[in-house]
Amino acid sequence: MITVALPKGRTLQAALERFARAGLSPEEDFATTRKLIVPARGAQARFLLLKDPDVPLYVERGAADLGVCGLDHVLESGADLLVPVDLGFGTCRLCLAAPRDSAVARGWRSGESGAEMGRSLRVATKYPRLTARAFARRGVPVDLVRLSGSVELAAVADLADAIVDLVETGRTLQENGLLVVEELLQVSARLVVNRASYRLKLEELLPVLERVGGPS
Amino acid sequence: MDPLDAWSKDAREAPARAVPPQGTQDLLFEAARRLRRCEAALARVFEEHGFAEVIPPSIESAEVFGDTAGGGADALRAVDRHGHLLALRADFTAQVARIAATRLSGISPLRLYYRGSVVRESAADSGVPRERLQAGCELVGEAGPEADAEMLALAAASLLALGIPPGAARIAVGAVGYFSALIAAAGASPRLARALTDAIDRKDLPGLTLLCTREVPPGRAREALLMLAQPPRPQAEATALLSRAQQLAPGDDASSALQRLVAALDRLQARELGAELEVDLGEVRGLGYYTGLVFNLYAAGAPRAVGGGGRYDTLLGRFGDPRPAVGFSLDLDALVPLARPA
Repeated sequence: MITVALPKGRTLQAALERFARAGLSPEEDFATTRKLIVPARGAQARFLLLKDPDVPLYVERGAADLGVCGLDHVLESGADLLVPVDLGFGTCRLCLAAPRDSAVARGWRSGESGAEMGRSLRVATKYPRLTARAFARRGVPVDLVRLSGSVELAAVADLADAIVDLVETGRTLQENGLLVVEELLQVSARLVVNRASYRLKLEELLPVLERVGGPS
Repeated sequence: MDPLDAWSKDAREAPARAVPPQGTQDLLFEAARRLRRCEAALARVFEEHGFAEVIPPSIESAEVFGDTAGGGADALRAVDRHGHLLALRADFTAQVARIAATRLSGISPLRLYYRGSVVRESAADSGVPRERLQAGCELVGEAGPEADAEMLALAAASLLALGIPPGAARIAVGAVGYFSALIAAAGASPRLARALTDAIDRKDLPGLTLLCTREVPPGRAREALLMLAQPPRPQAEATALLSRAQQLAPGDDASSALQRLVAALDRLQARELGAELEVDLGEVRGLGYYTGLVFNLYAAGAPRAVGGGGRYDTLLGRFGDPRPAVGFSLDLDALVPLARPA
């Protein structure tokens, strides 16, 4: 029996298609059912439907053997996981962005942080761990503003000097007068696997990893 | 939540002041009995195999634990009134190495075992407790593959003594010396070495491929590094993997690390172990002081390794008595709930 954690976000459809290649499909359609746990049709497996950032914890703690999760959430969670396969979909970039005419946008590349005298740079994000790490590496002290959504607004409404957020097409940034100052991480969906499951259920898992990760 | 506490700034304010620190617990009655039964079953196996118990103190000079992650760097430290930096026991092996290198210097071989708790800061949300109950063995003064095999077999026997059936336990075995030889041959900087270790330890083949193409010059070392993120092989099918690794070995250090592993595995070939063995050259994460064989133990029902060990031929040198040694420890917090000791 293997348990698969799926993210209910924008990558769900692509993830389901990949698992179908390995002969694993949910008995019920997640689009219509309200159930959060569904057995796989005719197979010794089941699917859990989770919010994307929760996938790493379910897998790390063994409630699921494997899961699909963006590299952003994998790294932000700090979970101790195996990441054997890059699924190639759900690609985007984690970026530092700031208002077009701001001190950050003007000075960042020449080494000025853009922080006002007497206070640290205020950076709003859903990714505090990755943001703290990126700024620490650049030697810039940062005042982290943890948000759970609409992060662009923080820079526009002067809650923060800059933001760290995912950029897919760049349209949201553009329409809110922000621009990318630096790209921090290339993101795509990963298969994540529990460390103990990988040892104890390898015979069951290997064919799934190969088919889900391999060419169609 | 009690409305009296709703705005309380300190989660540990009344009425909850008496909660033990995060990541620790009180064991009462049945839980205490279960732990003691498991410890007794392990002590019995260890003693049957000729190991004798040592009980090191629960505080040590902080230097004893070094400064590696998973060891001294994660220790809980305090300065005593004389200004000495002390640490709560973060790792039994370092303490046993200190004892072996000082009071027991010159007596070889030494077979020592211990049980008790270690305290290490653990990652938030990981579910790993700060205070961990352990039991383990160290064999000091024997450098050969017989000693490696003896400790692997004893680790397997320990799981069996806890009532974990052979089919529910696996031991993943690697040779960290092979990896360090590849790192040296590739001329990797400490930063690159760390990144390669992380990628291999996480089976991150895409990440490893990227790192190797960008940072490692083409050649045997690169080919061999890429092989380390491959899935493990059961002992019986490991021959092909090991001979491929041997072909790619960039020098004598890498070759001899593999030969040592093969020699240890050969000695276990015919024996009935209490767990299935598998070969995984990607077992590269340890406490920093491992130099040869490394292994991790897994048991069905536990979401992470339930123990591990390896050879550490340079650790005793830190205490002035350079002697080879090999050992392992078991994580009783993870094992006690799964155990059915006789």
